Amino acid sequence: LHIEPGNEESGMSKDRIEREIVISAPVSRVWAVLTEPQHVGSWFGQGPAAEIDLRPGGIMRLDHGEHGQFPTLIVKVDAPNYFAYRWASAYPGEVATDGNSTLVEFFLAVEGEGTRLRVVESGFAGLSIPAERESTAGYDSHSAGWTEVTGNIKRYAEKPAP
Amino acid sequence: VTTELEVLAALADPTRWHLLDTIGSARAGATATVLAADLPVSRQAVVKHLGVLERAGLIAGRRAGREMRYSVRVERLDATARWMTEAARRWDQRLAAIKQLAESLDEPGRAAGTG
Repeated sequence: LHIEPGNEESGMSKDRIEREIVISAPVSRVWAVLTEPQHVGSWFGQGPAAEIDLRPGGIMRLDHGEHGQFPTLIVKVDAPNYFAYRWASAYPGEVATDGNSTLVEFFLAVEGEGTRLRVVESGFAGLSIPAERESTAGYDSHSAGWTEVTGNIKRYAEKPAP
Repeated sequence: VTTELEVLAALADPTRWHLLDTIGSARAGATATVLAADLPVSRQAVVKHLGVLERAGLIAGRRAGREMRYSVRVERLDATARWMTEAARRWDQRLAAIKQLAESLDEPGRAAGTG
């Protein structure tokens, strides 16, 4: 086995998940759905309005019911085209930081009469594991990205067990 | 969820990735001594990395004489690939919900916060 670049199929290579959709509504309306409390609460929460401090460094409090509360850290707000935050989906109750979260980015672009919305969630391979299970110091190098991981995972997965 | 993140975190280190790759290529598995011979790091460092990989469930060791011989556990990698696919599917669902919401807010004045 040798390390090879992963392929682009399924939008999952390069340490990221990338998905998009075309919406028959203006960019401003899609922006509202992404950033306004009552909307975010219904598509990314359990119904109740999310608490949102819409500014870089602000917190968007996502309520995922039995899975817990997720104080998501807003990274960038560039209305109505770009919105980014860090989401610590594996750490309920913990404020998202560089080490415990993935970066979620939304890109909004005019598409005909509507909007093309693209979402990118990245940084999976760089996530730290809980301190109590990892005594080795330093995750300074993240150069082995998901490109290699996926490509090889597929190959391992397809290889008959020894 | 944490299990898959642990796998991804274990693989985030280039040395560990290289080790996993090498172990995967060795038909009969590999020992820390053999693996260290191939790397610019000490055998002790290799042992440490192997421990991380083993705790993440990516490799399994069995005693062979005086050393442990490691082989790759395919199931955990396969499960992680499936987890990533599932995470992508959840985004598809969220995007569909966003689309439905945005398209159902008909009048600008009724889209709360925009009036």
